[in-house]
Amino acid sequence: MGIRRRQYWGWIFVLPAVLFFALFSYFPMISSFVASFHAKDILSLKAPKFIGLQNYIYIFTSQDFLNSIKATLIFAVGCFIPLVSVSLVIATIVVSLRRFPKIQNVFKMIYYSPAIVSGVVSATIWLLIFDPRGLANQFINFLANNPTPVDFKWLALPAMARLSTIIIYFWKYVGYFVIIYFAGLVSIPTSLYEVAEIDGASAWKKFWRITIPLLMPTIEFVLIVAFVQCVRTFSIQYVFVQSGSPREAINVVSLNIYTTALQYHSLGRATAMSVSLFCFILIFTVVQLRIYRSERVSYV
Amino acid sequence: MKPLSVLLACVLLLAGATLALAGAGQEEAAGPVNLVYWTHEDPNRTQLEEKLIAEFQSQNPNITVERETSPSGPIREKILTAFAVQKAPDIFNIGAEEEWQYITGERVAPVDLEAIGYSSYKALQNDYLPVTFNGASYDGKIYGLPLEITNWCIYINNKYYREVGLDPATDYPRTWEQMVAVAEKLTIREGEVIKRRGFDFRYPYYLIFWVPMANQLGGTVLSSDGKSAVVDSAAWIKLLQYMADFGPNGRNLGAPTYTNARKTFNRDDNSIAMCISGLYQYDRIKAENEAFLPDVSIVPYPRFKDAVSDNGAAVYGHYYMVNASSSPAAQKAAWKLNMYFCSHVEEFLDQIGLTIPSKKLLKTAVYKNKKFADVFIDDMATANFVMTHESGPQIQDVLSEMVQGVMLTKVPPAEAARRGKEKIDDILRQ
Repeated sequence: MGIRRRQYWGWIFVLPAVLFFALFSYFPMISSFVASFHAKDILSLKAPKFIGLQNYIYIFTSQDFLNSIKATLIFAVGCFIPLVSVSLVIATIVVSLRRFPKIQNVFKMIYYSPAIVSGVVSATIWLLIFDPRGLANQFINFLANNPTPVDFKWLALPAMARLSTIIIYFWKYVGYFVIIYFAGLVSIPTSLYEVAEIDGASAWKKFWRITIPLLMPTIEFVLIVAFVQCVRTFSIQYVFVQSGSPREAINVVSLNIYTTALQYHSLGRATAMSVSLFCFILIFTVVQLRIYRSERVSYV
Repeated sequence: MKPLSVLLACVLLLAGATLALAGAGQEEAAGPVNLVYWTHEDPNRTQLEEKLIAEFQSQNPNITVERETSPSGPIREKILTAFAVQKAPDIFNIGAEEEWQYITGERVAPVDLEAIGYSSYKALQNDYLPVTFNGASYDGKIYGLPLEITNWCIYINNKYYREVGLDPATDYPRTWEQMVAVAEKLTIREGEVIKRRGFDFRYPYYLIFWVPMANQLGGTVLSSDGKSAVVDSAAWIKLLQYMADFGPNGRNLGAPTYTNARKTFNRDDNSIAMCISGLYQYDRIKAENEAFLPDVSIVPYPRFKDAVSDNGAAVYGHYYMVNASSSPAAQKAAWKLNMYFCSHVEEFLDQIGLTIPSKKLLKTAVYKNKKFADVFIDDMATANFVMTHESGPQIQDVLSEMVQGVMLTKVPPAEAARRGKEKIDDILRQ
């Protein structure tokens, strides 16, 4: 069988996946991009009207969208830093339990289980915890030994609503990143640590000189995925707003896109917001990839 | 097999399948009619409507009906999304304040008079109280048949009243000022944490419970020509101040972040003493917690002490509506089914507490013997119909931000009113 003929077969096998992606990923993306230059009411049967850059001009001069960018960045930074750092610490501890594989597996399961719960379910569970009569108030009042219970207004005050959404997101995703770090950590050859030990290296030195440099590809992946996930957050904020929390503080871009499309019916503006968010994530990812590519190390 | 032949075979198979599906569609149009009906959850109504659907299907063997329910919040989004992608059901219902956009957007069909056995819209209107079709009449046509026409009053847990030395028959709040005082007496706190709310509002439904409070003080949402918002008037600022005083940064009596008062009220679990709801709530309590019924009383919607308008909560309706994109046969069958539902007014009132206000109903023993129906009907006499506007849901969203601003984030009432006006004006400009 000639190389050319084998290439044909290759194309045939790849074709379903290409068609699937073209239909369900690229087509909606291109269609969203086109829609962002049109005025279109989601409920109207009238054809969309081309309005050039007006949707973009509107959103970037609207206080509402600028507030959403602020809310998204506060949430992303507030979540991203603890997520990537704490999950690394936990993963290191879990890896150190090598000699107790059963206990290690239990810990992995405990940390990972919230990740499989849907965002809406997680938020609903936490709403009960953050209720004025819920566990959060009781716990803090117990720790602070308050003589009369204080209501910390987890859902009502803007700063507390932000903090509450960050706590839920952290709880939900920390285990996911623990597992990714865990996979990266166990792939580092133990011989390197043994050699370092013979050379008298301390645990701290081994962590900074062996673990971190060799874990860089995993860290790079975690940083990008964690940030992108944080920026795209939606369900927790949605549930909070549906439950009466002040929208302004937690009106992240994804929630604003949803509100603009489904409550305000403005599909054009919503897609302009989506395209802007996509561009931001794309630029951020490219910049991060460039930064980390120069820092890769190999001891092989 | 040659790769080219494989590709050709795939294309032929796909084309064959497409043609077969198209043929099936044509056959279906000429044959039996299958109706899809989406509605909000109400276990009592589900029982009754399913019984009526079974009867209707046996009388019309060529029609089958698929009834699907969703929670009352998400169903609004579900229907909107379905209409956006042309996958909407044949029949649906949502609140009048939400339905208006479907009427003005020509997404629902006018009532098919022939299918329901009427000669004119006037003849249809004559069989019902005048308020009945307010939320479904547009441009000389009627776009829905009433599933319920409702107004809200105040539900009281008599047990908690007596517990704090109040008599539910005489000490109930007639004014909003009294409401604060009575709620304060009924509220139980531990430090700052509320253990039992005396009363709380029905927050997401601002057009129904809150705009009427502004109306009492002389406020309206829009100017008389409907071109601009007037939610920054003195009446609105006074109302916003009232909400701020009620909320967690004021007297700490309740807030939008607490569990829905109407839901917890039914449980009689010492978490709420008074709530806002319609007559249907009484039958829901009966279904969920019958032992609690003797301790429930219902009183009219309060007015402000210095009210300039004597209106209660807004009257609103849910209408059976028909998708204008459904096939003509499906539309005809849908109106026939809707009329079948509407012809059972007594069962709707007796079994589930929903009022389809036909003149026939008012003469029946069921209506005369229905406990507390008179409280609602009397209050309805001076009530305004809920604001019907194509941007109603968006305006409601802005009102919600205004209330949250003053109650939760300490925005001064005048500032919240100014921001609200700006946002509603922006909506009206679009």
